Amino acid sequence: MPAQKILLYPHPILKTFCNPVPAIDDEIRRLVEDLIDTMRAGPGSVGVAAPQIGATVRVCVVDVSASRLGKENNHGLLVMVNPEIVRREGDTIGREGCMSVPDYTGDVERATAVTVRFLDGDGAEREVAATGFEAIAIQHEMDHLDGILFLDRIVSLKTGLFRRKSYK
Amino acid sequence: MTRKDSLAHFAVTVVGKDRPGIVAGATGVLYRLGCNIEDSSSTMLGGEFSMILIVSHEKPFTKGRLLEEFRGLCDELGLTVSVRPLTRDEAQYRAPEGELCMVSVYGSDQPGIVFRVAQEFARRSINITDLNTKLIGTKEEPVYVMMLEASLPDGATVEEVAALLDEIKKELNVEISVRSITPVSL
Repeated sequence: MPAQKILLYPHPILKTFCNPVPAIDDEIRRLVEDLIDTMRAGPGSVGVAAPQIGATVRVCVVDVSASRLGKENNHGLLVMVNPEIVRREGDTIGREGCMSVPDYTGDVERATAVTVRFLDGDGAEREVAATGFEAIAIQHEMDHLDGILFLDRIVSLKTGLFRRKSYK
Repeated sequence: MTRKDSLAHFAVTVVGKDRPGIVAGATGVLYRLGCNIEDSSSTMLGGEFSMILIVSHEKPFTKGRLLEEFRGLCDELGLTVSVRPLTRDEAQYRAPEGELCMVSVYGSDQPGIVFRVAQEFARRSINITDLNTKLIGTKEEPVYVMMLEASLPDGATVEEVAALLDEIKKELNVEISVRSITPVSL
């Protein structure tokens, strides 16, 4: 399948809570292929979620193996159906951008490590413990499934440091 | 000529003793004039509230006209307003091209912290794109904090910047950390 067009905010689908996938059928398999092709076609893209190409189901793909930040520490291509984070640890702030919100980047707080449980493209249950950039990419793509954009999570270092009034 | 080509742009700064109503007052003046706020940053510095806005308007008018429109508000709230007309090119945001880094500097308060860091950066064509400073700590032992974001020229690395700042760190007896904040596209 050819790469699909990435929906841009303010498209309403990007703010939609996506439905769980009841069973992996041909339609879901086609969607997974589309997501992979779309991710591969995006310059430097390391993940795409179903709502970004117009499907409101809980499916996303992540592959940070070709990126500078992720190449040393990754699980290769992750096809995630109905993903759930079962453990998160630590926090870090990194500057993120998103294909659906072009021309803007912002500082976002994420867990440094996550364990995510999901069905892979063949319907097998998997659990993956991801750290570093791969963990950030997984959290970013999974947010899309809840209608959350990185804009919803922007934090300001300045505010965090300077606006604290009391330690009591 | 497209609509965008014909826009008139101004950089407007508004400063005054902090109180409720400054943002509403200033943006109200601009709204009634039909100006669009294209970019802005407002914050409290000490007890002063300060706003910097890049505004555009469909029809060219003079800086004097804009200042005139602000006169009533300035008198009412004790604000100082200045206006700088911009060409379309000047008003355009250009994303920094080099690698971005965030530099945190902190230590006992003393004159010259910002200057020494900025001077080294200027010598090496490192472009400061954002800079904030604040005095924290206690009255008896004030701690000066500076955070700046800089875009590095081609070929320069975050490690080189860290090495460069190591010298200043010793000279000023402050802590300095440098980290890459080059955005990741997801």
